Amino acid sequence: MSPRAALKHAAPSIETFFTIDLPYCESMEIRRTRFSGGAGPRAAVVAGIHGDELEGLYVCHRLAAWLEELLRTTPQALLGTVELYPALNTLGLDTLTRGLPVFDTDLNRAFPGSAGGPLPARLAAAIMTALEGAVLVVDIHASNIYLREIPQVRINQEFEGLLVPIARRMNLDMIWLHGAATVLETTLAHSLNLRGTPCLVAEMGVGMRVTPEYCDQLVAGILNAWRELGILAPGTPLPPATHTPLIADDSNVHYLNAQTSGMFVAAASHWTDVHRGELLGSIVSPFGGSVLSEVRSPVDGILFTLREYPLVYEGSLMARVMARKGGRS
Amino acid sequence: MIRNLLCMTAPVRDGFDIPCHELGPASSQLSVALVGGLHGDEINGIFILSRLADFLNSVEKGDYPELRLAKRVLVIPAVNVLGVNQRTRTWPFDKSDINRMFPGSTGGETTQRIAYAVLEATKRAEFRIDIHTAGVDFEELPQVRLYGPSDAERETARWFGLSAIMERSMSPVFTTTLKHSWKVWPGQSFLLRVGQAGTVQLEHCQRVFRALVSFLGRTGVLEGVQLAVEDEDTCYFDKASGYRVFAKKAGTFVSDRQVGRWVGAGQELGYIYDSFNGNVIEKVLSPAAGLLTGIRRHPLLFEGDLILRVNKKIAKAGNR
Repeated sequence: MSPRAALKHAAPSIETFFTIDLPYCESMEIRRTRFSGGAGPRAAVVAGIHGDELEGLYVCHRLAAWLEELLRTTPQALLGTVELYPALNTLGLDTLTRGLPVFDTDLNRAFPGSAGGPLPARLAAAIMTALEGAVLVVDIHASNIYLREIPQVRINQEFEGLLVPIARRMNLDMIWLHGAATVLETTLAHSLNLRGTPCLVAEMGVGMRVTPEYCDQLVAGILNAWRELGILAPGTPLPPATHTPLIADDSNVHYLNAQTSGMFVAAASHWTDVHRGELLGSIVSPFGGSVLSEVRSPVDGILFTLREYPLVYEGSLMARVMARKGGRS
Repeated sequence: MIRNLLCMTAPVRDGFDIPCHELGPASSQLSVALVGGLHGDEINGIFILSRLADFLNSVEKGDYPELRLAKRVLVIPAVNVLGVNQRTRTWPFDKSDINRMFPGSTGGETTQRIAYAVLEATKRAEFRIDIHTAGVDFEELPQVRLYGPSDAERETARWFGLSAIMERSMSPVFTTTLKHSWKVWPGQSFLLRVGQAGTVQLEHCQRVFRALVSFLGRTGVLEGVQLAVEDEDTCYFDKASGYRVFAKKAGTFVSDRQVGRWVGAGQELGYIYDSFNGNVIEKVLSPAAGLLTGIRRHPLLFEGDLILRVNKKIAKAGNR
């Protein structure tokens, strides 16, 4: 096969895999980009289930750029197929709405869905059909607009044996194992894992923003995982994966919820070591000069979640600290 | 007596309370707990419960000499106080659904704290009733909804005297709802669905008000109630008895049909128009002979939207 023919064979294609008519003169299409190589396994990356989470869209862009360059220079290195689904909630992304507009529904609470019925169920079913059978699906979430998170993967302990070995190679900083009782059963990841399609939930950064260094970190991890899974040829040069994840579970993660309402101002930096009793921030009132509440670390550990949006209600989460002692880190 | 279920602070406003009515003899155990407004836009339930509280207060004051409130009743017209005032279904600050926060916790997020307070106040009641509407797009016939009920709940559900009792299995979607959290406690739990969100539908509200008074009478909470003989039987519907019609095409749906009417198989119930050209693109026909228990009220349709539901009368076992 000539280089020109190989290039034509391997050119990425943008495909519409779901279409639905809107009430007035429009239809909604959900698209994916497919990079087809050899007959090897298929992997997928999905993003934008929540319309206010943009980190995954940028990861898809970076992966697409890397794959386009690979196909231009060494198309034979793509042994399998890669599918990128950067914008599953297209209407939400285009209108800055977290859930599915009009339906006021969180798409990630609609799985596995059903082929008939209203849009959320229909779309969820179409996404399931598209993704089932992949050797790995990475579902990328940003945090919400209130909290900033370090790059991490969240795994239901029910699937720990299957997913943790893959997650360790993803170049992330933390693997957070959740007890089965606390897992939401109607998410994409849970539904895929139940049906035997491995799905990792990556979470990082903050809502409505892009954190390029976190995205590039995850891109390196995904590429390394793809090479391990035989989607990329052995020896394919990749960005180095230099991050080793810490393991967290419900026993060593401490939540710091606001004791009172007001304005939270951080005193510590995100993703740093903190010590028991260290001041992490204060809740103040804009009506007076006094400090309403001090927020201090309950343990020696790592400040892996930090509030980004300053106003807090009584109970709002301001920070999470992963303890170094007594846990599995 | 009015007391605050929960007093919370707010970032830059005064604090806010979730008030409730406590009625009946203080010495007795809580017999009936009624909860509305977990969603801030479900105004039918809020209106019904505020009117019920007014009525029961009048009973306590002696305005109705033939009636006596014999047992303790708790009435929370609206849990999502901030949502009611901002006309939003969810908790306005972080858009979380309070009815997905149960059982809640004392030290968690704001909405988890609210959920915890509601559950603590209501869970020991002998009878617990949570009132909802459908969303803003759809109208439900006032009905009792049962999710994985006990036999006792199936029987007691008839005491409301509403024309429809709908039984469903308990889905994982509901595990963090108030109704589900109640199930682990002794006693009986009911969910009433009344009309659509965003409005007060007076006829539905009056019907459910009478249903609640009837229920309080039959449970012995309110003594002296003259129980009316219902015009029609209560119908018991399982999921299999429901025939739903979904939009095959997007467009504008128009119908003048009312919920609660019996319809024939194939009867025209509405039309879908092309929203741009204005031509009829689909006649919506009843899929079965039965009771029209729900119909779409927002005219703009996505392909696949639920348009209506007709429930076929169950001949034998269902209608006990």
